Amino acid sequence: MFTLKVADAKLLKDMITSISILVDEATFKIDPDGIKLRAMDPSRVAMIDFEWPKTMFEEYSASEPTKMCINISELLKLLKRTSKDEIVELNLDEKTAKLQLKITGKYQRSFTMPTLEATEEEVPTPKVTFNVKAKATTQGLSQAIEDAQLVSDHVKIEADPEKLVLNASGDLMGATITLQKGSDTLLDLETKEPAKATFSLSYLAEIIKAASATSDIATLEFSSDMPIKLDFQQTKEGKLTFYLAPRIETE
Amino acid sequence: MGPSYGQADKRSRNVWLLDVLKNSNLEPNENLTFSEPSRSGLCVVCKGSKLLCGKTRCPILVKVNYFLKSVPLLQTEDIDGSSPPSVFIGRIGYPNVYAGPLVPPIREDTALYDLPERWFGKSIDDIVAFRSMLVRGKHRVHVQNFQEAGKIIEKTRELALATNSVDVELILKKKPRGHLLLDDEVQPFGPSAPIRELYVGNARWDHHIEKAYTDTDLKATPAVHELYTKGVLVTKIQRAFSVGAFGIEKNRKFVPTRWSITAVDSILSKDLMEKVKTYPEINEYKVYESRYLGNLFEVIMIPSMWSYEAIEAWYPGTVWNPSGRNVVMFGDSEGYEGRTTYAEIGGCYYAARLAVCELLMKERRQATVIVLREAHPGYIMPVGVWQVRENVRNAMRQKPYLFNTLDEVLKFIGSKFQIPLQKWIMRSELLKNALFQKKITDFFAKPPLNA
Repeated sequence: MFTLKVADAKLLKDMITSISILVDEATFKIDPDGIKLRAMDPSRVAMIDFEWPKTMFEEYSASEPTKMCINISELLKLLKRTSKDEIVELNLDEKTAKLQLKITGKYQRSFTMPTLEATEEEVPTPKVTFNVKAKATTQGLSQAIEDAQLVSDHVKIEADPEKLVLNASGDLMGATITLQKGSDTLLDLETKEPAKATFSLSYLAEIIKAASATSDIATLEFSSDMPIKLDFQQTKEGKLTFYLAPRIETE
Repeated sequence: MGPSYGQADKRSRNVWLLDVLKNSNLEPNENLTFSEPSRSGLCVVCKGSKLLCGKTRCPILVKVNYFLKSVPLLQTEDIDGSSPPSVFIGRIGYPNVYAGPLVPPIREDTALYDLPERWFGKSIDDIVAFRSMLVRGKHRVHVQNFQEAGKIIEKTRELALATNSVDVELILKKKPRGHLLLDDEVQPFGPSAPIRELYVGNARWDHHIEKAYTDTDLKATPAVHELYTKGVLVTKIQRAFSVGAFGIEKNRKFVPTRWSITAVDSILSKDLMEKVKTYPEINEYKVYESRYLGNLFEVIMIPSMWSYEAIEAWYPGTVWNPSGRNVVMFGDSEGYEGRTTYAEIGGCYYAARLAVCELLMKERRQATVIVLREAHPGYIMPVGVWQVRENVRNAMRQKPYLFNTLDEVLKFIGSKFQIPLQKWIMRSELLKNALFQKKITDFFAKPPLNA
């Protein structure tokens, strides 16, 4: 038996939106002390690592560890019917393998949706020693990524002790975006050694856009030609982290 | 073929073409009118004899040759023959367009004339020969108000749904006149004239199509899926689609032939793609090949989730690159989630997507698919999008070349194409992705080797 209750539907909706940009079917691990999800997108280029301790919820109870696999876009369709400050309750009936979603606000409605067969796959996190750690506003990052998207579909991120530089070059046009340490966008920067790595802009843009709804501050960690880790600070003890593999041009 | 051309032929008879004809062994004919001179100016110098354009044969002479053969048969206002069946809906003046049947002055089974599914392997000459026998009757119709357009349009619709050739008497307001367009993108067809009257014999309808036609609550998209699943040929679905035979009654409308071809390819492949995405990935690299009408297709399948790209390269001297000095390449791609905008390269993108999805569907596998097309100077004139669909379908029927690595695939492709491999790679988003984009799994457990 597993139930939870969220006082503000927006919290749940934003979090599920963040998951939806990478995965369509998600297998959540449900423990007495919280729910977790670690999954890769179908092309295995990006990964989400998500944790919600039970303290995030008004009510939370899971009698024993279990797994729950659901179609994220279907769930999102239901959550889009909620408005701010409405109360959402989730109930998993393991006998019928159905998830019940109860929304209480101006009026009450209750939906049921099927759960799917859970995957047994255990996804590890990538093993990377990060040489750069940058703390930035999600709003500023979003803007910088949008700038770069005007000219290319991938971006090279370079760090030295003083600044982060985003370089995008398309067939014809180019862009250089500089984020100075201590500026309004780049709040902090620790560079153990200078590093540069290239990433897909469509992934970066989607991740940052969706995650900014849940968070104002992001911590980026990377090393040369290694995956980038984007950690979005959550209001309570929740965790929302993405990993994105680099592009490495060999010629 | 809009009004602008009509004015052109009153104004001038194209002198340079008559000149070209004088140099060939073809007899000029006064019923030929030529509305557009060569853009490059080369033809004036060449006169079909020196092949200055770089093509292997002069496309003007090929067209004129068959045109002249069919003209004597078409010297009448009364075309009495068997329509394959075939209809053509123009796009000029949309939403007020010209619609009507295509009828050859021949009474026999002409089904082949409008069934590209059976054309693969035929030469350009064969295709031009029977296509140029098709006389196009034209009648103005508003795409939405076709119900009120009268008997001619009603008969045209009936004809479009027929399963076999139908006897048709096409009475024209004047003798059909032809235009020889040098930059035309429609498959070749014969002369045209406005319709005075149209008589259509007893047509037996395809019963699947008839069922969708009479179901005025069934939306067009599911109707198209259903017919395809029942085994109705894409051409027949498209023909019925163009005369507004499907959809909720009030939404039905005529669709210009060119658009209807792409619409049907797009609707069908979109549906197949969603199914393909539920299947396991292929487990080795595959390359499928087909050559036809001066077009070489190499279709690469990469063991990965579904995504799709089509790139075409045009040699100088080919249809869409007549006077250039360099190879011109166009391409478009989509990721796992599909696309929401129209592919820049046009109808062939969707036609090839359908052909590759058909195979993946049959094998119950998904893959990243890259369709590469090299058009050689032997491709002297455009024959229509069907060439791409049937050429790629033919590739899919062949035994694929199998490889263990992408490097081996590229080496193989490089040996097949005349255009250097590097150019293909630089143009291909998906190849660049496969080569350069690392996967997160590369960084699990042991530290990755420097790539």
